[in-house]
Amino acid sequence: MKRECNSKQVMCARKGAGIHLRRSLMSLLVLFLAISLHAQTRQLSGVVKDPAGETVPGAAIRVLNTTKGAATDVDGRFVLTLAQGENVIQVSYVGMKTQDVNVQGKSSVEVVLQYDMLGMEEIVVVGYGVQKKGDVTSSISSVKADAFVKGAVKDAAQLIQGKVAGLTISNPSGDPTSNAQIMLRGITTLSASTEPLILIDGVPGSLSTVAPEDIESIDVLKDGSAAAIYGTRGTNGVIIITTKGVGQDIKPTVEYNAYATVQTIARKMPFLNAEQYREHMADVPGFVDLGSSTDWVDEITRTPVSMNHNLTMKGGNTNSNYTASVNYRYWEGLFIRSDNKQASGRIGINHTALDGMLKMSFNSIIRDRNYWTGGDGYSFNSYVYRQAIIRNPTDAIYDENGVWQERNTYFYDNPVAYIMESDGQNNEREIQMNGKVTLTPVKRWNINLLLSNNTYNQTRGFSQTKKHVSTTKSGRNGYASRGTSANQSKLLELTTDYAHTFGKSNVSLMGGYSYQNNIFEGFYMTNWDFPTDFYSYNRMQSGDALTRGEATMNSSKSENTLIAFFARGSYNFDDKYLLMASLRHEGSSKFGANHKWGTFPAVSAGWRISREAFMSDINFISDLKLRAGFGITGTAPGNSYMSLISLNYGSRFLSNGVWIQGVEPNRNPNPDLRWEKKEEINVGLDFGFFEGRINGTVDFYRRRTNDMLWDYQVPTPPYLYSSITSNVGVMDNHGLEVLVQGTPVVRPDFNWMTGITYSTNKNKLVSLSNDQFQTTNDFFYSGHTGEPIQQTTHIVKIGDQIGNFYGWKSVDITDAGIWIIENADGEHVPITESTQDDRKVLGNGLPKHYLGWNNSFRYKNFDLELNMRGAFGFQILNFQRMYYENPRIYQYNMLESAFDKVYGKARLTYDLAYVSYYVEDGDYWKIDNMTLGYTFKLPNRNYVKNARVYASGLNLYTLTGYKGIDPEVNRIGLNPGNDERDKYPTTRTFTLGVNLTF
Amino acid sequence: MKKQFNKYIGGLVILVALVAGSCTDLSETVYSELLAEQFVPSEKDIPAIIAPVYTGMRGMMAGWQGMFDLQEEPADQIVTPARPNGWYDGGTYHRMHEHTWTPTQWQPQNLWNNCYRGINTANRVIYQIESGEIPMEAGKENLLAELRAVRAYYYSVLLDTHGNVPIVDDYKDVELPEQATRQQVYDFVVSEFTAAMPLLTETVDKTTYGRFTKWAAKATLARVYLNAEVYTGTPQWALCISECNDIIAGTKFQLDTYYRDIFKTANENSKEIIFAVPYDETKATGWQIHMKTLDPLSRLVFKMEAQPWGGNCAVPQWIDTYDADDQRLKDTWIQGPQYNPDNGNLVIDYVKFVKDIDLAASNQGYRIGKYEIKIGAKAALSNDYVVFRYADVLMMKAECLLRTGHEGDAALIVSDVRARSFRANPAKATVTGAQLLEGSSYNYGYVVNGVVTEAEGGADIQYGRFLDELGWEFAAEGRRRTDLIRFGVFHTKTWFNHRPTSIEKALFPIPQAEINKNPNLDQNPSY
Repeated sequence: MKRECNSKQVMCARKGAGIHLRRSLMSLLVLFLAISLHAQTRQLSGVVKDPAGETVPGAAIRVLNTTKGAATDVDGRFVLTLAQGENVIQVSYVGMKTQDVNVQGKSSVEVVLQYDMLGMEEIVVVGYGVQKKGDVTSSISSVKADAFVKGAVKDAAQLIQGKVAGLTISNPSGDPTSNAQIMLRGITTLSASTEPLILIDGVPGSLSTVAPEDIESIDVLKDGSAAAIYGTRGTNGVIIITTKGVGQDIKPTVEYNAYATVQTIARKMPFLNAEQYREHMADVPGFVDLGSSTDWVDEITRTPVSMNHNLTMKGGNTNSNYTASVNYRYWEGLFIRSDNKQASGRIGINHTALDGMLKMSFNSIIRDRNYWTGGDGYSFNSYVYRQAIIRNPTDAIYDENGVWQERNTYFYDNPVAYIMESDGQNNEREIQMNGKVTLTPVKRWNINLLLSNNTYNQTRGFSQTKKHVSTTKSGRNGYASRGTSANQSKLLELTTDYAHTFGKSNVSLMGGYSYQNNIFEGFYMTNWDFPTDFYSYNRMQSGDALTRGEATMNSSKSENTLIAFFARGSYNFDDKYLLMASLRHEGSSKFGANHKWGTFPAVSAGWRISREAFMSDINFISDLKLRAGFGITGTAPGNSYMSLISLNYGSRFLSNGVWIQGVEPNRNPNPDLRWEKKEEINVGLDFGFFEGRINGTVDFYRRRTNDMLWDYQVPTPPYLYSSITSNVGVMDNHGLEVLVQGTPVVRPDFNWMTGITYSTNKNKLVSLSNDQFQTTNDFFYSGHTGEPIQQTTHIVKIGDQIGNFYGWKSVDITDAGIWIIENADGEHVPITESTQDDRKVLGNGLPKHYLGWNNSFRYKNFDLELNMRGAFGFQILNFQRMYYENPRIYQYNMLESAFDKVYGKARLTYDLAYVSYYVEDGDYWKIDNMTLGYTFKLPNRNYVKNARVYASGLNLYTLTGYKGIDPEVNRIGLNPGNDERDKYPTTRTFTLGVNLTF
Repeated sequence: MKKQFNKYIGGLVILVALVAGSCTDLSETVYSELLAEQFVPSEKDIPAIIAPVYTGMRGMMAGWQGMFDLQEEPADQIVTPARPNGWYDGGTYHRMHEHTWTPTQWQPQNLWNNCYRGINTANRVIYQIESGEIPMEAGKENLLAELRAVRAYYYSVLLDTHGNVPIVDDYKDVELPEQATRQQVYDFVVSEFTAAMPLLTETVDKTTYGRFTKWAAKATLARVYLNAEVYTGTPQWALCISECNDIIAGTKFQLDTYYRDIFKTANENSKEIIFAVPYDETKATGWQIHMKTLDPLSRLVFKMEAQPWGGNCAVPQWIDTYDADDQRLKDTWIQGPQYNPDNGNLVIDYVKFVKDIDLAASNQGYRIGKYEIKIGAKAALSNDYVVFRYADVLMMKAECLLRTGHEGDAALIVSDVRARSFRANPAKATVTGAQLLEGSSYNYGYVVNGVVTEAEGGADIQYGRFLDELGWEFAAEGRRRTDLIRFGVFHTKTWFNHRPTSIEKALFPIPQAEINKNPNLDQNPSY
C-alpha cells in the first residue's frame, strides 16, 4: 500500500530506500556504543516496519513514563538511550495503531505496526483547524488521495464522486469546459446559489483552481454544526481541499504522472440515417430525398485524444521545505475544433524561524487556460448540435459548386458550416497567492495570519466569416466580438487557537476575524459588416456596424464585502465525552441597511460509547460513537445591490427629433433584505466492528430553511415592477446517510476493500407567505419546454416537494393518432378537448435514493478499483423524444421510434405536445470507474523509487430503462429532471497512465 | 517562568494590535448603477425623466403578444393558424380566435402589465414634479397636464379591454388598490382629459412628435365617447362629434395623399398622424409585427437581416369583401407570388386560401403588408406605430352622424376618405347614405376546407356597411375587436373557425396572477 500522509500538522515523510552499506555501518556503531556504555544506561536501537515489511520513517517513539522520545529516520530506524527500569516504549504513526513494546533486556528491536482500520487516529480537516477523527462530533466525510476516482477527471469534484454519502455529483454535460454539478443533502433553496463553499488550503476558490493531481485529501463538512463556522458561505456544505505538502526531512523527490485518454459517445439517439429516411418517405409526405447520404453527427464529432502531464518536486527538512508542481493538460473535445488546454504551476514553501516559534508558508497557484469557442464566449454551441440531429440525412455538406449547402427552412442551418465558419478563443488566467504566518509564543497557543489574493482574468474573442449563415442568411457581412472579465478576491484571516490539557480533560479554543472583498468587472463589444474576414476579431474598429451605431458595447463593475468574527471551543473528557460549540457573527454588504449582520451559532456533542467500561467486554465492537449537532448557516443573494434604490439610463425616447436615454429605477428595492437562514439538526453514529474490519457512519438530519430568498410577485399597482427580491418562505429537508466500509479479505497477497454509500432525502416547500407578502395562490410554475411547444414543465406547490413534473397525463391514443388524456375529473378525453386545468403531477425529477458501491482489490502487484453508483425513484422528461418522436414534423429529421405505434395502437398524428408519454423512469445503475494498475517491483531502488502503470475507464456502462442519452441529468434548481434536447452528449473515456517517483 | 510570561504578553500584544486594525465597514460601492441619492435632476433632465412614461408603449403596441395581437386575434380579419414550423404554442392562438381564453391567458395579462407600468411611472413622475424633487420653473403645469393625459390614455385602453380595473393616481399610496367599476373608470378618463385639456399644447411639430398634444387627447376622448354605449350603456354621439370637430377646426392635420405613406418606414412626417409611438430599428427596437406575419422564406424577398417566424395571416372571408378596385387591398395585404430581387426567382406564393386553424401550409393566407418592410429590414423596424390619425377622426364623426340619422352627411365624409384609394376608378369612391345603412358584405359562417358552411352573412348587422368601411380603412391597425363589439358582431357572428360564445367575452378577464396578489380584485363576469 502506498502511503502518503500529509496533513500540515503532522510530520511524516515518504518511505525511502535504504542502502545496505549504511545500514551495516550503523549497526556496528550502535553495537560498539552499546558495549562501551555499560549497565547504567543502555542503547536501544530499532526499526519500525509496516505489515508489508516496508520501513516507516517519521514514526514517533516515546519511552513510557519519561519524557524521552525519538523519531525514526528516513530508513525507519531509531536509537534511544534507556536508563534502568525504562522498559516499555510506545510507537505511534498516523494511520497505524499505536503499539506498546516491552524492550526489557533487549538492545535492538523490530516493531511491526498494524493498520488502524478504524481510522480513529486519522486527521480530519474541520473549519479553521484539524481534529482527530475520533474526536469529531459533526458530520464530516474525509476522502484521501488513494481513494480518489482514478483516470481522466475534469476537476476536484469528480475525484470524490460516489464516495461521500449525501453529496451527489453529476456531470450532466460531457463538455470538457463545463464543471460538475454538486448538491448536498437535497434542495434547500429556491433562488439562492446551491454551490458549496470550496476552500483550497483555507482560501476560497473554485473546483478548477487546483489540478486534481495536486490534491492530497478532500474533507466535506456536511451538516450545520460543522459548517456554521463559515456563516453565510457554508449553507450548501463546505468542501475543503488540502493540497499535497511536505512535512519534515525528505530526500528530494520527483513524481511524474501522465495519462492519455480517448473518448467515445456513450450513447447515440437513433435518428434516421439516409437509408431509413428513404424507407419512410411513404409514411411522411413532407420528406424530401436530396440524393446524398450524410451522418451529420458523425461529421461534427471525432474521437478525441487527450493527455495530461504532472510533475511534482519536493524536498527540504523540518525547518524549510517546499513542494512545486507543474501540470499540463491538453483535452480534445468531442466536437470538432473544441478543446481545453491548461498549464498550471503550484509552489508551496514552508519555513520555520525563531527556534520553531514562527512558521511561515507561501503558496501560489498560477493557472493558464485557453480553449476554442464555438459560441460567442462559450465552448459548446448547442445550436450546432441540434442542427446536426435534425438535418435531413439525405442532404449533402457541399452543393455542386463546392459551397456549403444551406436550405431555407425555419431555424435550419448546415452544422458543419456553422462550426467551420466560426472561430473563437477564450484565455483565462488565475493567479492565487497566499501567505500564512503562525506565531507560537508558548506551546499550544498559536496566532495565525492568512493573507490571500486571487485574481482572475479572462479574455474572449469570437468571429464568424462571411460564409457563415449570419451573413448568408442575416446579412451581417462578417461578425466579431470581444469580451473580458476581471475578478479580484482579497482575503485576510486572523485566528488564534489555544489548547490545554488538565487531568483527563482537553480543552481547545479558537477565535478569529475574517475580511473578504470581491470585485467583478466585465466588458463586451460586438461589431459586424467587416471589409474582410482576415481580421477575425483582432481589429474591431474595422466593422461598419459600430460607426452606424448598431453594434453593442457594454461594461459593468460590482463589488461586495464579507466581514466576520468567529469563535469555537471544544472539550474532550477522557476521550469519552466530547463537546463543541461555535459562533460566527457575520456581515455582508449585500444585505439591506437594516440587516447587515447575522449570527450563526452551532453546538455539537459526542459520546464514545466504546470507551466506556461497560463496553470493554463486548469485543466485536471496536468503536461506537454517538454524536448530535445543531447549527445555523445562511445564504446571501447573488446580486450585490438588491436592497438599494438605484436608477439606470436605458430605453431611448424621441425628444425633439433626438433619441435620448430615459432614466428610471431599475428594481423594487428592499432595505429589509437579509440572509436566508438554514437550521439543521444532525444525529449520527460512527461504528467499527472486528478491529475495524467493518466500519461506517449513519447520519440522520433535518434542515429547515427560513427567510428563503425569492423574487416575489407583487401587485402592480402599487409597485413599479412586478417582482421584488425578499425573504419569505420556508423549506424543509430531512434525510438519512449511510456509509459502510469493510475489508472482507486481508491476506499478504490479496486484499479487498469495499464501501457502500447510501442516502435519501425528502424535500418539502412549507410556505411562501409571511405577514408582508401573501400568496393566495399556493403554487407557481417553473421550467420551460422551449419553442414551439411553449409550455412550463414543473410545478412548485406549497406543501409538496420541488421537482414535480406538471403536464397532461396521456393514457391512450385514438385510432386517428390523437392523444387521449385524463382530465381533471378523471375522464379520458382527446387532447383537443383539454384545458390547461387538466394538467397533473406526472412524476418527480429528484431521486429518492442514491447508492454508491466502491471496491478496491489488491493482488500482489496488481490493483483493481471498481466504482459504481446509482439513483432510484425519479423521472426524467425526455426532450429529445418529445420533439423528435413525432412523424408529423417533416421538415426535421426524427427518431426511428417516431414510427412505432403509441401504446401499441396507432401512430401519432397530433402536433408536438408535452404529455406524460415522454416522462420516463430514470432509475439507473452506473458502472462508472474501473482502474487496473500494476506496480513494478524494482530491483534497484537507486534511481526509480516507484513505478506504476494503469488503465482505467470512466462512465463505462449504465444499466437503465431510460431511453435517452444518460439518466444523470440536471438535478439542481427548480426544474430537476429536464433532459434538454441540445444537451452535450456524455462520453465514455478510456485512459492509460503512468506514475513514476524518482 | 518569566520567559513564558513574557511570551504570553508578547503574543497578546500582537493579537490585540491586529484585531484593533480590523475593519467592519460594509457599505456598498456601486459602479454600474446610479444610486437614487446621487441623482440630482435639473430642468435639462426632464425629457430623460418623463421618457419611461412613453417608452413602455413600444413593447405594448407592436411587441410580442402586445396590444396589436390582443385587438386583432379575437377579431374577424386576422388569424394565427398552426403551421408546419409551429405556432400551435399550447393552443394560445386557438383560444384567442375561439374566445375560449381563461384568466391565465397571457395576452390580456401582458397588456395589463404594460398599462399599469405606464400608469405607475406617470404617477411617480407627477409626484416627483409636484413635490419639487424635480425642480421645474416654466412649463410645470403643462408638463403635469401632459402626464395626466398620458395616464388617462392608458386608462382608456384598460377601460376598453378589462373594464373593471383599479384606479390608482397617487404614487405615495402603497395600499392594495380597490377595484373600480367600468363606469367609474370611464368617468375618471373623461374627467382627467377634460381637466388637462386647456393646458395641453396645440403645437404639432418635431418637438411634440410622439408626445401627447391637445389633439391626441381630443382624439382619445372622441374614441372613448364613440364607445360610450359599450362602456356605460349611454351613447355619447354628440360629444364625440364635438371633439372631432375641434380637431378638424384646428386644421393641423390632413389626409395623406397616398395611403401607403402613412405607414412607411419614415412616416414621422406624415400630416395625417395625430399620435404615434416612435420606433427605431437599432435605438428603439420592439417592432415585431413583420416577424410574426412573414413566412421565413420572405427573408429573401426583402433581403432581411433576420429570418421571420411567420405566422399570422388574413382570414379569407375578409379578403372576399374588398372591391376589386380598392387600392387598399394591395396596400394592406402581401399577396401572390413573391420574387427574389437579386435573381428574380420565385420565393413563395401567398395564396388567399387558408385550410383551417389546426394546420395551414406555410404559404397560405395573405400577410400584413400595411407597414412598409424596407429592403434590408432587420428584426425590428423603424416605422412608427400609428395610434390616432386624421382619417380616424373623420370616420368617428361620420359614424356618429350615421347613428344620429344624418347618413347623408356621413356618406360625404366617407367618400372623402375613400377617394385616395380608388384612383383607378374614382366613381367607386363615392358612397351614398343609403348604402351606409345597408348590412355588411362579410360572408359570416363557419369555414371547412375553404368552404363557408353554416352561412350567416352580414346583412343583418345594423350599419354593417359602415363596419366594412372601417375594416377596409383600418385593417391591421389594432382596433378591429373594439369595432366588432360596438357593432354587436363580436359575440353573435361566426367567422373562419370561430363560433359565437357570449357577450361577457367582450371584456377580458382580470389576470389570475393579479387576483392572486390582490384580494381586493374580483374577477369579471363569466370567468
